[in-house]
Amino acid sequence: MLVGAFTGVAIALITKNFALAVIGAIVAGGLLSLIFAYLAVSRRGDQMVTGFGVNLLATGLTLVLLPYLNAIRTRTVLFPVIDAGFLKDIPLLGPMIFDQSIGVWMALILTPMSMWVLYKTTWGLSLRAVGENSKAVATAGLSVIKLRYIGVLLGGLFAGLGGAFLALNNIGFFVANMTQSRGFIVLAALVVGKWNPLYFGIACILFGAADALQLRAQAFGSVLPYQVYLMLPYLLTIAALAGLVGRTQAPKEYAKPYDPTQA
Amino acid sequence: MKKEYQINQLQINSLGIIDFLLASSRPIFSVIMAFLVSGVIILIQGINPIDAFSAIIRGAFGNIGSIANTCVRATPLLIGALGMTLGIRGGIFNVGAEGQLYIGAAAATTVGLLPLPVPSWLHITLSLIAGILGGSLFAVLPAFLKAYRGISEIVVTIMLNFVGIYFVSYLIHEPNLIGKADASYAQSRDILPSAALPVLIKGTSLHFGIIIAVVLALILFSVLKYSRFGYRTRMVGANPEAAHYVGVNVKRSIFTTFLMVGGFSGLMGAVEILGFKHSIFDYFSGGLGYDTVAVSLLGGVNPLGVIVSAFFFGSLRAGGNLMQQTVGVSTYMVQVIQALVVLFIVGIGFMKPRIRKQKSTTLQPIETNNLEG
Repeated sequence: MLVGAFTGVAIALITKNFALAVIGAIVAGGLLSLIFAYLAVSRRGDQMVTGFGVNLLATGLTLVLLPYLNAIRTRTVLFPVIDAGFLKDIPLLGPMIFDQSIGVWMALILTPMSMWVLYKTTWGLSLRAVGENSKAVATAGLSVIKLRYIGVLLGGLFAGLGGAFLALNNIGFFVANMTQSRGFIVLAALVVGKWNPLYFGIACILFGAADALQLRAQAFGSVLPYQVYLMLPYLLTIAALAGLVGRTQAPKEYAKPYDPTQA
Repeated sequence: MKKEYQINQLQINSLGIIDFLLASSRPIFSVIMAFLVSGVIILIQGINPIDAFSAIIRGAFGNIGSIANTCVRATPLLIGALGMTLGIRGGIFNVGAEGQLYIGAAAATTVGLLPLPVPSWLHITLSLIAGILGGSLFAVLPAFLKAYRGISEIVVTIMLNFVGIYFVSYLIHEPNLIGKADASYAQSRDILPSAALPVLIKGTSLHFGIIIAVVLALILFSVLKYSRFGYRTRMVGANPEAAHYVGVNVKRSIFTTFLMVGGFSGLMGAVEILGFKHSIFDYFSGGLGYDTVAVSLLGGVNPLGVIVSAFFFGSLRAGGNLMQQTVGVSTYMVQVIQALVVLFIVGIGFMKPRIRKQKSTTLQPIETNNLEG
């Protein structure tokens, strides 16, 4: 996500082309995920440690390159807002729904789309099976390694898009560590959303609401110190995780490497 | 007895010095590869990587002051990485050292600010204990959730890092608490001289913390290798099911180990404040807590190896500044090198014995083993 955000801003600044920037961000996210895929799937490395290393690399690289980005002093291109015409003038609902950028719509479309792919296509079934019982998939003649690679790669592409949205939706520049560990909130949303894209989307809106509340509350000024509001999304994440114990089921072979040599 | 339980054996008994020497070729290879790749990255920026690396070496070992600086940088890394090592050995991947170190540092500062009518050594000890307790306290929630609710510690601890950092930020913004009243930027008041760790060499920043850190490493090494507690902890980390079958209370072991890991992180923060920074400010740690992961892995998750790797990363941190000043490569390059070291270690398969699930060969030999190892 961080690398996606960075690449998105960089390409947006250099080419001034919105589509190129988003594609670049997605590709960058995908490339980074391939490092993870190689180490975690092919080398069967510990996924926690590998993920930690990849995150550290992303943070470090973006920080090293940030001065070069800041040296480019031009205005960037942002996610265009879809002009819904008269719909925007509906009170309350208008600005809430019909004044959103194309990025928000992308997220809303991608959610049912990924549900459809995961639950209604043969390929989606294979992908889910590879997380539940990789040996059965291998017995059925499909390549576990290939499916897992594609899974990780898709994850990286989506994360890259997420990063592009974060940086280019309205602020238009890159801030050091701007994702603020949102990737891990996503992990929590997965658990809370019972590994189902629809519930996951709802969980994400909930976390997003906490984030928005945090910004608003700071702006209004209140009795509580502003740090309390900053903590809010993180506290909510922990509370949601802690509260949903036992009622959520991860794929059985989640985070377990596949070793074809073992029976 | 020694050859019987195969892969499990690798993990449980890979603490010996000879094993360590054999295993150290892989970390060294990882470091060389990491330097090669980061050299290419520096080259892309149009800077000669040899100039950059030699600046790091001069900055880390050029004179007595810079060597002292290297040791000062290595001290918190060593203490924190010992906690990380204990955690990994006990089946815990604690990414929450950053938050725990802030809380530990704040606790130590709070005690360090109290004008206690006690001799200096006692004041220091009390402040350090406060730091340990602070770190442990901040690990209670993830420890409980991990041990008794089966919730992954990774997300919880990373979320708590932010909570800890913002909480300390609140403390130092309030003059009624530990904040400094008329500071140009938010920071705590300076700790009292009686709570400061003594400086070892006059004119340098080298402080007593380094001795604490190295002694702790030796203690942890012996405890892990020779004590009943150490064996039990390693068994829980290597194979929780087997540990359960031989009567170890796995949940309680994970819970208590996690609290100790938090204590190490808290102590890391306390030593950094009492020995070096003398007051807390926002983001004073510069990611020390996250660095402990790389230090521990490079050290082969072995307390003795961690001593070496802590000094290695300490020298990078100490030399990084000179690299930025003289050749203009960002100090964050150090972080890139660290990340590459971690990835190469994973790629070379250093952690493999821990990961591979072994099904049948584990139970019986351990039963005959009386837990004394």
